[in-house]
Amino acid sequence: MHTGAPVIAMNRYLNQVRAIVWKDFITELKTRELFSSMFIFALLVIIIFIFSINLSIVKASEIGPGVMWVAFLFAGTIGLNRSFMLEKENGCLQGLLIAPVDRTALYFGKLISNFSFLLIMEFLILPIFMIFFNIDLIPHLLPLIYVIFAGTLGFCTIGTLLSSLSANLKSRDIMLPILLYPLIIPIIIGSVRMTSQVIAGEPLSSMTNWLSLVLCFDVIYIAVSIMIIDFVLEE
Amino acid sequence: MSEEAKQSSSILIWLTALAFLIGMAAIFIYVPTEQMEGAVQRIMYFHIPAAWLAFFSFFIVFICSILFLWKKEREWDIYALASAEIGVIFCSLVLITGPIWARPIWGAWWVWDARLTSTLILWLIYVSYLMLRYQTEAGSMRARFAAVLGIIGFLDIPFIHFSVLWWRTFHPPPKMISPEGLGAGMDTSMVATLMLSLGAFTLLYFVLMGQRIKVETMKDEVEQLKKDHLYSN
Repeated sequence: MHTGAPVIAMNRYLNQVRAIVWKDFITELKTRELFSSMFIFALLVIIIFIFSINLSIVKASEIGPGVMWVAFLFAGTIGLNRSFMLEKENGCLQGLLIAPVDRTALYFGKLISNFSFLLIMEFLILPIFMIFFNIDLIPHLLPLIYVIFAGTLGFCTIGTLLSSLSANLKSRDIMLPILLYPLIIPIIIGSVRMTSQVIAGEPLSSMTNWLSLVLCFDVIYIAVSIMIIDFVLEE
Repeated sequence: MSEEAKQSSSILIWLTALAFLIGMAAIFIYVPTEQMEGAVQRIMYFHIPAAWLAFFSFFIVFICSILFLWKKEREWDIYALASAEIGVIFCSLVLITGPIWARPIWGAWWVWDARLTSTLILWLIYVSYLMLRYQTEAGSMRARFAAVLGIIGFLDIPFIHFSVLWWRTFHPPPKMISPEGLGAGMDTSMVATLMLSLGAFTLLYFVLMGQRIKVETMKDEVEQLKKDHLYSN
């Protein structure tokens, strides 16, 4: 009895998170609106970069990681923007807030769905990136996955928090990137640096400083979001 | 406003004016010209205090944001706003005086050095903070959102610092606060002038804070009066 109560509470919490993630996935599977726009947008960013950089002068392996992360970032912003805006339509957010769900569960649910949408999109972009930039990523795939995972998580932790905030603003489409980009500059620098080192064939152990910086960022901003999400999602 | 508060605020203003007058005299007359860099180095006595004030203001924004979320009192919101505005102004001053100093010394207006870059990012964060404030209608939502941004923005500073530091750096190692002690490697007259300037700028911060808080409180009063007399009949 004594040990049972926390387990039941934990299960209930996980169920709440799962319900929100499930809802997002079902909506996405039905409309395929968000995913297709994110993917095409990322592709366009890469192509525009290829036209604006002279690849016969610049080495592809030097410029590639930066272009890749810019594409992820821009496409990710679209995803984040949609994430809470969709809830604003027809008063869905109101419903979610009235429901007996913990606010942090709402945050985690949204974080997980944003994170997984972005990850799926990124792994679909990778082969295209490989072909366009003529970089062989396959021998470095494992460390690369690790780097993309850590960087994307950092982007999504703070991005989910800010998108829950900016959804309430009048000029939300513009305000989200303006608020978000300066804050995630450490993540961008770290991810680009690590990606180029990985592509150069260096092991992950040679970049522990960057890895710990990005992972610290992830952990701290998840913790901060748990603490302050109640103040953002207040009606 | 009480008579007493008015008096103390005018004393503060006069004190600040006096401190700046002495500071100016020290910068332009008393302190010797730096041998390597020449007269342009005198801009340091404005550059460093402005940077100190910017960081100090952002720290106050952080503290006031936490206190606002905790206590939900309008005054903390006002303090955070006032401090953020002052911080952005002084951060802009740092970004203006920096290139003026850098041009003759480094031969370029701007280099992507660690401290320049992190100051620029900091400026961007707090400009976006102010944009958020100006674009949202007054009320509890604006105060809460601003406080949230004030907290996460300040927590970002260590990450920005390290990421930009590992990215690249050209700045001379800090002279003022170094492992060898406070002000080691600088002439005593220079340290004294810098301290004087730092003191004057800090006083200025409190003067500006007082004025800005007064303006914001008056705005609230006007809103309240409008609500009471204009819309009700």
